[in-house]
Amino acid sequence: MRRFRVGSALRRTALLCMLILLALAVTPVASHHAFSPVYDAKKTIVVEGVVTQFRFVNPHAMMLMDVTDKKTGKVVKWNVEFAGRLNLEEAGWTADSIKPGELVKVTGNPTWTGSQRMAFVKLVRADGTTLEPGRAQRLSAIEEERRQRAKQREQQPAQQATPEK
Amino acid sequence: MLRCAWVLLALVVTGCSEAPPAPAPKPMPSKLEGMWSDPPPTAVGTLCFFACTDAAIERLNALLDDPKNDARPFPQLAAEAQKHQTDNYLRPRLTEAALKTYPLDPADDPGFLRCEPWGLAKQMFAPHQLEIRRAGDDRIELRYGEWEAVRTVHVDGRAVPANVPPSRLGYSVGHFEGETLVVETSAVAPGITWWDSQHSDQFRVTERFTRSDDGETLNLTATIEDPWGLREPVVAKKIWRWAPNQKITPYDACEPATEFKKGTGEP
Repeated sequence: MRRFRVGSALRRTALLCMLILLALAVTPVASHHAFSPVYDAKKTIVVEGVVTQFRFVNPHAMMLMDVTDKKTGKVVKWNVEFAGRLNLEEAGWTADSIKPGELVKVTGNPTWTGSQRMAFVKLVRADGTTLEPGRAQRLSAIEEERRQRAKQREQQPAQQATPEK
Repeated sequence: MLRCAWVLLALVVTGCSEAPPAPAPKPMPSKLEGMWSDPPPTAVGTLCFFACTDAAIERLNALLDDPKNDARPFPQLAAEAQKHQTDNYLRPRLTEAALKTYPLDPADDPGFLRCEPWGLAKQMFAPHQLEIRRAGDDRIELRYGEWEAVRTVHVDGRAVPANVPPSRLGYSVGHFEGETLVVETSAVAPGITWWDSQHSDQFRVTERFTRSDDGETLNLTATIEDPWGLREPVVAKKIWRWAPNQKITPYDACEPATEFKKGTGEP
């Protein structure tokens, strides 16, 4: 059997993706209540289906999708819970960010009970474009702040060592 | 004798004449007015997304300044700073009475179970929009996106009436110290604090709102007291970002919890 060897760049990319997903998973959703009684933030699942409804409301936006079981052909309704409109609008979302009829692949945190419901982490459309919560943009900005902070830290000893002219 | 008569006449005339007009209301500084929303996407802003204390901010800065932590994800560092805040700042301030139920199980939150709006102790730190507007010369309104809550702050110099019954958001009076809006609130019904502890109707808070020099952020320092639940005051902080294009949208689709697990909060 021929084994596919994963290149180091690909491995690094995969590791980075895992870290981003981990970061998203452990960042609490700012909302009117904790998500922890309903969803297991330490786990993620991926579900693919067709959007039937997107409700851009407060305190939590909701999406309904039809998911077809590839083996049985049976269609099961899934419910995806998001942060609220108040929160999503901050990240530039609108009521049209997700349209009925779209084929989407959604990553989310599963419920403790294993029901057909998840807390939104990431959405990928059929054309490859993605939707992420506002906290993903926030985390990206923070990482840049941390890089600048580390750079300043490295420069400080050099500056201190430079004699005054 | 004649001199006394003149004095008496003068007193009578003064007493019968119309009272002098009340001084014109002092214009309120408008630097705080407008729409604010979630904090800037900085490390400290995100740590204080809901609320924080200096204990957490100092811990986070120490973690960020340590090169050993450069490879650790930010949420991990923020969680460590929050745990430090809980163990070294919040928990030691709680009385025996408050510790009996601390931390409250998130599954017991009335907002989650029954869609009951927050009380002041959480609402004042609500994420997302906060709109500050004057409502006449004697009042300021604080409108929050979360729960569409509205607080009225009386700024006409009155004190909190002695017989006002406790309510969810309490009774607020305020004044300006320079450009700082100082709001004092009491008569708050028992509820839940932002650190998931119960509080009594003895809860009272002094909030100080200031705008940063560059105008981009609104900073709140809140000194919280509750003789029933706190051994000493908790000083909490929060940051909002200037967001004139934000708007408060209807908060009308809350659904009570139907499936949940207890015991998922902090151990």
